[in-house]
Amino acid sequence: MKTVLSLIKRDYILYWHDKPAVSLTFLVPIVLIYLFGSIFGGSNNTPTGIKLAFINNSDSKIAKKLESVLDTTKAFRLVKNYTDDKGNTVAFDTNSVKDYVKKGNAIAALVLPKDAFTDTSTSFRIKFYYDPKNEMEMQVVEGLLQQTIMSQMPNVFMASMQHKAETYLGMDKGMSFNRKIASLVSEYYGIDTAKILKWTTYNFSDSAMSDTSKSKANFFSDLLQLDKEQVVGKEINNPNATRSVGGWAMMFLLFALTGSSTSLFDDNKSGVILRILSAPVSRVHILWSKYLYNISLGCIQLAVLFLAGSVFFGVDIFSNVFNLILIIIAAAAASTAFGMLLASISKTAAQANGLGTFLILTMSAVGGAWFPTFILPPFVQVFSKFTIVYWSMEGFLDVLWRGANTAEILPYVGILLGIAAVVNVFSVWRFKKGNLF
Amino acid sequence: MIEIKSITKRFPSITALDNVSLHIKEKEFFGLLGPNGAGKSTLMNLLIGYLDADEGEIFVDKEKVTRSSLNVRKKIGLVPQSIALYDDVSAYENLQIFGSLYGIKKNLLRAVIAENLNRVQLYERRKEIVKNFSGGMKRRLNIAASLLHNPKVLLCDEPTVGVDPQSRNAIFDYLLKLNEEGKTIIYTTHYMEEAERLCSRLAIIDFGKIISAGSVSELLKLLPYEQTILISKNKATAGKLDLFKLFGTLINEQENYELKPDSGIKLSGFFKALEDNNIDYGSIDINRPTLEALFLHLTGRRLRD
Repeated sequence: MKTVLSLIKRDYILYWHDKPAVSLTFLVPIVLIYLFGSIFGGSNNTPTGIKLAFINNSDSKIAKKLESVLDTTKAFRLVKNYTDDKGNTVAFDTNSVKDYVKKGNAIAALVLPKDAFTDTSTSFRIKFYYDPKNEMEMQVVEGLLQQTIMSQMPNVFMASMQHKAETYLGMDKGMSFNRKIASLVSEYYGIDTAKILKWTTYNFSDSAMSDTSKSKANFFSDLLQLDKEQVVGKEINNPNATRSVGGWAMMFLLFALTGSSTSLFDDNKSGVILRILSAPVSRVHILWSKYLYNISLGCIQLAVLFLAGSVFFGVDIFSNVFNLILIIIAAAAASTAFGMLLASISKTAAQANGLGTFLILTMSAVGGAWFPTFILPPFVQVFSKFTIVYWSMEGFLDVLWRGANTAEILPYVGILLGIAAVVNVFSVWRFKKGNLF
Repeated sequence: MIEIKSITKRFPSITALDNVSLHIKEKEFFGLLGPNGAGKSTLMNLLIGYLDADEGEIFVDKEKVTRSSLNVRKKIGLVPQSIALYDDVSAYENLQIFGSLYGIKKNLLRAVIAENLNRVQLYERRKEIVKNFSGGMKRRLNIAASLLHNPKVLLCDEPTVGVDPQSRNAIFDYLLKLNEEGKTIIYTTHYMEEAERLCSRLAIIDFGKIISAGSVSELLKLLPYEQTILISKNKATAGKLDLFKLFGTLINEQENYELKPDSGIKLSGFFKALEDNNIDYGSIDINRPTLEALFLHLTGRRLRD
């Protein structure tokens, strides 16, 4: 037993000296648990400040009420005007609001049409223009919208239900049904019957009255009628695959390039670097060759993975291939710089790989490789914008979904290349100070 | 051929080389003998331009060697202490990779690789990955990789570490042949046998300083005696230690006594004393002086302490 205890102690001593192993055991999972817990867990971190373009064309009280509710709810930030080419602030109309979404200025546009809710409405109608770039975002936005309306405006649904009863059952039976329901609610919850019935007006049009052919199974459905229209990428197949392919490609690009950069440690340890430097080769040559090699490897890797996405899921990579290549090059350059940074600040390959794993998984989670960033806690979303993954993903999605042209993706390319330049300058400085060479 | 002028190299915690000056002639087989940590590898790294000196200058074939002077490196080949090869690629591909760094044209490089592989007897194994080679084969390939550009100077930094005696001898023969063919060789080692066998001239280095330099015979003359006498530990010699001490310094070694005769002592006198005391000559062995003894004499320490 003493021997076994001694061996256990030995394992702990060795483990404790292996800092990358310690960080992978505790630090990495803790960070990921926090992130995923924040997103999917029980904490109250529902998304906030989601930017929605908004038009209210309805005169109904309910539509006005909904507008004020959406204005005050934390989940959404309504944008009702845009700035035109001359710099004037102009209220949205249907065309401009679509264009606003097309350009990626808002996740979606919410339009309350003139007939959003009338005295005869069996459901509340909302027109929804969306960009399917982020399919998951849409689902969450839709859910949040329903949740907001349900929780803030229950009367809308009470009225809609009553209208439905009268539509499906006929006026007499419907009124009778509503009165009985109101009576029951009144009996058990002590609410005034008149108050429950006050939203019903009974003066339905013929058309509404004659609509008794609808299935009674739909009685409780369609209380909120979201009339959705996709304004971008209608012709593009498999929207979810685009994010998946881009996200996983980016994550594995970072792993591959970090591994390649940290091979400098192996070369140094084996004496290969010394041998290379005994030839007419300078350290700058080595760094440049490693950098360019990694960029080319990264470009090939991303190209192959996108091609695989195209073959397996029909992701359209060919209609905007030039701009896709630009983003691929910029993403590979920035990812290579990240790998070189790790090599320059670490003392051993193990340390670099441990730190790399931690940072890559974190960047992938918060940068939007696995899921859209808008569902992250607000302060994490701020951090997202400091990651290579975020700008690469935005670039990929804009190119593949929006068919963004070269001018439109220049900001992404610029930011990625800027990150690469800054990180490279720092890495070179670190390489000069360090003892890798 | 090689001028090392007052070189000092400091690291944060140690002065690795302290005002080292050496002159190495063309076609010379020059040895640097010293214990581990004496500064031999640092000097090699300065000679190849891997490091810059804090003070002093190095010239190879009249060209100054610095970290930024790349051209001079075409004249130098380095056999690193470690086996600086890619384990997972073949012997041939390794040489291709390293040969291409010297800008050798493809056809010529192919011929040069074949020639060098033949010379180290690895041509038949050229397609095998290095990982599967024995230690001796890797060492031979390590040397071949340093000779592809036909350098004038070959720096060998302990190139036989961990090699079996047979392979070591093969490497020695190869290096001697290269020297005969006109290459200037600088060879670092902490094995005095290697230095004695290979080097026409050598420098003894310790704690970053050159203690002494010259040919082996010149250096051995620095010893105050011409030979050492080994006396076996047995009944006949056990009680005669005071007698032996009359002839010089007696060191009690593990298996025998080592007598270092005082200057002026003649062996004939010593043997007469043995006869007078009925000590069999079989208990006595006369050794010529060694570099090990010289190092001990100069530093008070053994080479491998």
